[in-house]
Amino acid sequence: MENSKIVIGYLIYLPIVILLTIYVSKALFKNGKTFMIDIFKGNEDIALATNRLFEVGFYLLNIGWALLVLKISYIGIMNNQTLIEILSRKIGAFSIYLGAMLFINLFLFFRGRKKSKINNLTINTPEQINL
Amino acid sequence: MNIISYIIYLPIIFILMIKIGWILYENGEVFLNAIFKGDKTLVKNTNNILLAGYYLINLGFATITISCWEDIYTIEQLISFLAEVLGKIIITLAIMHYNNIFWLNYLSKRNINI
Repeated sequence: MENSKIVIGYLIYLPIVILLTIYVSKALFKNGKTFMIDIFKGNEDIALATNRLFEVGFYLLNIGWALLVLKISYIGIMNNQTLIEILSRKIGAFSIYLGAMLFINLFLFFRGRKKSKINNLTINTPEQINL
Repeated sequence: MNIISYIIYLPIIFILMIKIGWILYENGEVFLNAIFKGDKTLVKNTNNILLAGYYLINLGFATITISCWEDIYTIEQLISFLAEVLGKIIITLAIMHYNNIFWLNYLSKRNINI
């Protein structure tokens, strides 16, 4: 009985986590396209390819992490209430982690944009390009 | 009794947070416009990403609070405890909200270029 509860927990946890990751990376990289085009100064091929590569990396990192923290180790009799509590902690923590990743990515976008602007301004002095 | 309280608590807090996020999303656009000096697509995209981040962190936090819930046996306890938890979260939201307003004001005064 305990085991079957844990399996139910996994079956609820996995779809939620994977759908959340997919939704977040869609939201991030659909909107990140303009940043990338800005960073690569309108060179659309490289911008889209880089965007795609970042997206794949984001998926790998987050789904990997979700699987890593999947294990529910609970000793004792498990009822519906404890299952809900454990699941809520896991999903909530994962969601906050995803939010942090989102903001890190946004920060990287801003940073890249700033760098490319600086490079654009000093393009005439070649020794300053590799800042 | 605990499960009933979860079923009452989750919709209330989710609807509240989604509503607040939407209000912030609609009104924050003006401030972002000031920061980005009117680059429309960039403003829209940044706003979307910020909204997603807001939802993730807030809803995640709201869900996490369930895991440290007291045991509830009577309806009295249910109401008082629900009120306590909801009140705590709403006050936290309010503080963060004023913090945000302060920062928006500060940034648009300094006219910092991102």
